[in-house]
Amino acid sequence: MIEWVGRKTIAGYAYLAALATLASQALLDLILPTRQGRRESWLVLVRQILFTGVDALPVTTVIALLVGIIIITQAGTQLPKLGAGGLVGSIIVVTVIRELGPLLTAFIVVGRSGTAIATELGNMSVTREVVALRLMGIPISRFVIMPRMVGMVLSMICLTLYFDVVAVLGGYLVANAQLTIPFYAFLEGVMKALSSSDVALTALKGLLFGSAVAAVCCHHGLAVRSSFTEVPQQTTRAMINSFVLCLLIDVVVTVPLYL
Amino acid sequence: MNEAALILEQVRMPMLGSPHRLDVDLRIGAGEFVAVVGPSRSGKSLILELAAGLVSPQAGRVILLGHEWVVDLNDESSPVRLRLGTVLQQPGLLSNMTLFNNVALPLRYHRASMSERDRESAVMAQLERLRLVPMRDRFPAELNQGEVRRGAIARALMLDPDVLLLDDPVAGLDAEMVLALKAYVEERQRTRTLTVVAALRSFSPFIEGADRLVLLRNGRVEADGPRAALAEAVASTLRHYLG
Repeated sequence: MIEWVGRKTIAGYAYLAALATLASQALLDLILPTRQGRRESWLVLVRQILFTGVDALPVTTVIALLVGIIIITQAGTQLPKLGAGGLVGSIIVVTVIRELGPLLTAFIVVGRSGTAIATELGNMSVTREVVALRLMGIPISRFVIMPRMVGMVLSMICLTLYFDVVAVLGGYLVANAQLTIPFYAFLEGVMKALSSSDVALTALKGLLFGSAVAAVCCHHGLAVRSSFTEVPQQTTRAMINSFVLCLLIDVVVTVPLYL
Repeated sequence: MNEAALILEQVRMPMLGSPHRLDVDLRIGAGEFVAVVGPSRSGKSLILELAAGLVSPQAGRVILLGHEWVVDLNDESSPVRLRLGTVLQQPGLLSNMTLFNNVALPLRYHRASMSERDRESAVMAQLERLRLVPMRDRFPAELNQGEVRRGAIARALMLDPDVLLLDDPVAGLDAEMVLALKAYVEERQRTRTLTVVAALRSFSPFIEGADRLVLLRNGRVEADGPRAALAEAVASTLRHYLG
């Protein structure tokens, strides 16, 4: 039993070290660009932002609106019973902007783009496209990993902030229709509860979640060796590990700040 | 002998899926056209992978254009890579790019200063020589096996390499195209010093262009020399590889 725990712990550390190596290499490639292939890497980055960020806007809008509506519906019907009807604005800040916004955005990005990256890189490994790039003298980290990581991080930050705004808007729709709270009163409640550190923290979470998801998905995609059946296996692992890592990061960031 | 382009010095390496192991000592001169022939699982592809620096030998050294390969996963930026064109058994055309963009990729990545017009004309010239112009805007999944292979050969030649490694270059090619490819490789060799190492699993007219044949069986060199000389020297069971 102790041996099993020890083996798993070592494997866990090795996994995290591999992710950290991948992410730090991508960071180095970003801050120390070479003239070679700059335009090509830039094009991959733009495509990644379009896919992860822009294309995800409709689904993010729908989910954020629904989350905002659900939370304010629940808060608006329960809080007045406790004599805390005035906290409707702050409830959306605490639940959505601090927690659900970054987490749900991360889950959307994992489901849409993380799995797509893992699948794409997995297929590229099986069809030996990754080897072909190496043979052409094109660094995988610079041409494949860095643009995907940077694209995902930028998209995640923007999508998280967008999610928060839309969820607040969704909350307002219910607050106005069901609870007859006027827009300015609702906005005042939100602004009173919202601090600049909340906004900074939500952006920080976007940055950390984006880096983690991109590193996990690239790692698992490139871990595929020689069979197409490995692709869905690694994609599933990438998805589950991304979820777990995002929740872990969330705990590590949130607990010391708010406890 | 002229300067060596590729040296496999007492290379030993286990072969996947075979009880035998590769055990070769080869020296290929600059500008030579060498065909490595032999049955499946005789070690032909492994020789090319060693030469391309994709795998490290268990023992011995592999020296390409004076550079000893020390396989490192981050060795893509090694300058010797830009002097080497390689087409493996699985050609590895990027599936999310059209044939044109695949062939143009080495130029776009490594010759960023080249104008788009020059780049396009270089790519089109290459596609024309390999009879791929009508396919330029197709994705690899829309091409047949021979077209994919020719596309990969075109891509491997884009940076004017000093050494060209071809694993089964004639797979999926019709007879006419095999002759055209052979003529094209010979023409490239006439215009500049190009060393060609091609692995072939059966006789093909492509072999006729080779200066030298290396006959491989069970990971060992059975015979090495010009085709005519080998035909007399090797066992009758291996003669059909020579035509």
